[in-house]
Amino acid sequence: MNPLLEQFLSEARDFLQGIGEKLMQLENAPDDAALMGELFRLVHTLKGNSGLFDFPEMTRVLHAGEDLMDAVRNGRVAYSRLLADCLLDAMDFVGMLCNEIEANGAMGVTHAGTSVRLVESLRQLMERDAAGPRHADTIETAEAETASGATEHPSASFRADLPLAVIPEAARMDAYRHAGAGHLLHWIAYTPSEQCFYQGEDPFFLARQTPELRWGCIEARDPWPPLAEMDAYCCLLDFCLLTAAPRAELEEHYRYVMDQVEIAPLPRLALVLPQGDSNGGPVYDDFATDARHLLATGDLVGLARNAGTMLELSNPDLWIASALRWLRLMLEIEPENRAALAVLVESLSRLAAPDWASIQIGTTGSAEHSEITRPSQPDDGQFVATASESRPMEPINQGQAMANGPASAEADALAAIVATQREILALTDDPAWLPGRIKAAAAALAGCLRVSVAPDALPGLETGLDAATTLALADNSGAALLAWLDGQFSPSLDLSDAEGAAADGSVNAEETTATMARESTTQAPLAPTPPPEGDGEIKFGRRAEDAIAGPKSLKVDQAKIDRLMNLIGEMVVAKNALPYLAGRAEAVFGVRELSRDIKGHYAVINRIAEEMQDAIMQVRMMPVSFVFQRFPRLVRDISRKLGKEVNLVLEGEETEADKNIIEALGDPLMHIVRNSLDHGIELPEVRRVAGKPAAGTLTLRAAQESDRVVIVIQDDGKGIDPDAIKRKAYAKGLIDEATLERIGDQEAVNLVFAAGFSTAEQVSDLSGRGVGMDVVRTAVDKVNGTLALTSERGRGTHLSLSLPLSMAVTNVMIVVSDGQRFGIPMDSVVETVRVPRAAIRTIKHSLATVLRGRIVPLKSINGLLGLDVAPKANADDELAVLVVRLGNEAVGLLVDDFRETLDIILKPMTGVLAGIPAYAGSALMGDGSVLMVLNVKEIL
Amino acid sequence: MSIEFKRNLAVFREVVSVEEAEGLLEWLQKKPTAKVDLGACVHLHPANLQVLMAAKPVIQTWPTDAQLRVWLESALVAH
Repeated sequence: MNPLLEQFLSEARDFLQGIGEKLMQLENAPDDAALMGELFRLVHTLKGNSGLFDFPEMTRVLHAGEDLMDAVRNGRVAYSRLLADCLLDAMDFVGMLCNEIEANGAMGVTHAGTSVRLVESLRQLMERDAAGPRHADTIETAEAETASGATEHPSASFRADLPLAVIPEAARMDAYRHAGAGHLLHWIAYTPSEQCFYQGEDPFFLARQTPELRWGCIEARDPWPPLAEMDAYCCLLDFCLLTAAPRAELEEHYRYVMDQVEIAPLPRLALVLPQGDSNGGPVYDDFATDARHLLATGDLVGLARNAGTMLELSNPDLWIASALRWLRLMLEIEPENRAALAVLVESLSRLAAPDWASIQIGTTGSAEHSEITRPSQPDDGQFVATASESRPMEPINQGQAMANGPASAEADALAAIVATQREILALTDDPAWLPGRIKAAAAALAGCLRVSVAPDALPGLETGLDAATTLALADNSGAALLAWLDGQFSPSLDLSDAEGAAADGSVNAEETTATMARESTTQAPLAPTPPPEGDGEIKFGRRAEDAIAGPKSLKVDQAKIDRLMNLIGEMVVAKNALPYLAGRAEAVFGVRELSRDIKGHYAVINRIAEEMQDAIMQVRMMPVSFVFQRFPRLVRDISRKLGKEVNLVLEGEETEADKNIIEALGDPLMHIVRNSLDHGIELPEVRRVAGKPAAGTLTLRAAQESDRVVIVIQDDGKGIDPDAIKRKAYAKGLIDEATLERIGDQEAVNLVFAAGFSTAEQVSDLSGRGVGMDVVRTAVDKVNGTLALTSERGRGTHLSLSLPLSMAVTNVMIVVSDGQRFGIPMDSVVETVRVPRAAIRTIKHSLATVLRGRIVPLKSINGLLGLDVAPKANADDELAVLVVRLGNEAVGLLVDDFRETLDIILKPMTGVLAGIPAYAGSALMGDGSVLMVLNVKEIL
Repeated sequence: MSIEFKRNLAVFREVVSVEEAEGLLEWLQKKPTAKVDLGACVHLHPANLQVLMAAKPVIQTWPTDAQLRVWLESALVAH
């Protein structure tokens, strides 16, 4: 998860919390305009933030919420409890999405429908309120609507107004065939917004990519205006599509435009619409009479034969021919659906469109039966669809679980279907249509599989079914298929179904009644199931009474951390007092045991205090990426402006350091990078001539080295010309002639850091870098950092910054001189040695000694501080020398004695003392005394 | 440019993007008897499509892409 998203999630939680609180407060003070304004601002900001990410569902809901709040704010809509409920629901939804994003890194795709429902309920609230005052009953209906999410599945099993006749017969037959195999058909009306082209949408492409698309058409929304007045970029197209994809897949496909799409389930019988020239004739009357008779006697084969013959005799453009084609197709796909066949035959005789509504509404007779054997039958199909989409899929080979499961309605239906197939397959007679019967049973089982099995398990089961079917057809008996069925479903299932099925029952009336009876029992519990489901969905299981997942990060005011820091500082000081106490116990009071106890206790407290200090440091740590992240953009902009090509490489961005250090890094780094781009990296053509790649490389690398952060800025530019620097420094009076002759290239390069070296007009014509480098040095010094610059002409420059991880605690060494204690920062201490007085030479007025073959100049600390006392030697006439680092040189400080090292909290000098540069600061010691910490660089 | 404007014929090639719609509209406004060749077109942005729907130029060649052709016929052939 990227940091931006993390931040969004943590902020979103705050916002949601705030929104919840404000809504509660508003309940007590509905007229508080300021509160309302604040609430609006919260929703507005949250919406804006969510727009940064790919969460259309979230943004959509928040947008609706924002609109509603705006209306409330402007007095167009009155605040009400219902409104607060709706908003809280919406915010719960958003919170749920946040949780999901946090858990999975992405949002599930199943929320599109819910978000649309929420948006609708929010918008409804706005419209109704705008229309006039509300009554109690309307509130109830609104609540009922929101609760049940009634808009999702229109109760009408299919809409009569769909322009199905537009679809070519071939496409409809194809879709019908598909539906016969257990797929659900959906009709999609996609109305893109007029402004959609400006949002970079291509609705046509979206429509073309619809999964399982069977047919589609594009229509103009309004008659076209005269061409001269036309606006090509105002979308006035509507799309109508017929697809066999499941609803969830469609919702995912259209998730960005869910509010512009209407998805309606389409029963396949609605597709059976004969079309053509409506010329009839007596021949057809005869056919209709025969067909009715054949249908009544169940001679479907005869009926198919008759229809085939009629079809050959008829002009294919005739309406009647079209009807006959449909009749043949229906006989092939669903021969057992007598009611539907009868309706079609009836329509044939009247030469009028079949009245499918009669079997949709009247749930009578054999229509019921077919409903059981065919899960995707019009009215039942919807229930199966609803159930299987809103519940987790249950693998069919867990047959018992299916039957005993809590949501047993669909399982019952499936069990009934399977039982019926089992009976059919178990028949021992051997009619001519046996192969057809086996195929029909196999098709029905395949349909069952499709609606009930998890998609990933489906291929395997289907292969098994296919194999069993082939086997069954080969030996012309249902046994093989029956065996497969027994393998997949526990035989115990059909015991319960056996009571209705006569032993010799063919597909006959007796069995039909039995299944009818069962259907009426299953139908009853079916109907009331959807509303509670919808209810559960809309509440998202996240209400105030539920356990709230606590946020994982806290936003804390920096002042509080600083206070903690100060407290731990005092703690360290107090802790440091314990060894003194132990010393006193022994020396003054002579209680050695107590002294030992105190020391033991000190060790414990010391450990805890150190850990605590470390923990507080961790809180203040920030990754270097905080300053690094601005560079890609900066480098890009500057290099564009200069006409250079630069590759920026960032490494070790996750390295952490104290917040103050990181913040102090920003400006120096900026200067360095700018210099590097301006003076370091050459123009592409120059680089090519020099045999380097045209694009320069600038590397920013951060790494932690023990208790320091090292940041390296490296380029492969032309480097710094030491001669030019020397000349410039000489001209500027920074170095004298002797130095000019003496200093090496490396030292010369470091002259760029000299104060006063860089003022713009002097340096801008210099070949090397230099602009603001003393600023860099000062900034780095301020945080106790060091700088090292190396450069090779023509090869590039390498600058490394070394900074302490944290400035809060300073490790100092305590030395004694003239009876006073001084602190020296450990950073600058190289070593402590005792040098015999004899080994100290005087060169002119300066003292020096030789340490490991190097001459080390010696200075007396007393002399440096203006104390007129000679350094004391110990009993062996040795002088204590503290060797400190000064730049690249070592200098020895003559002191009287060394003491321990200590971690102290360094307080900078304040007030009148602030002007004394010899001291870096002061610290309180454990025994209550004040330790002055020397600024070694300043006193030498 | 994925639309090539010849004297009285606009030839669409490959994917015709949204930017082309403005030019197509202007061109069709000037040439009321224009013809359109969609043979090599595999997709066109609906902005272009609605210009074609409004201007009703003669479609000289339908797209070879069968799927696109069915879609375009639904939009461009008067029912």
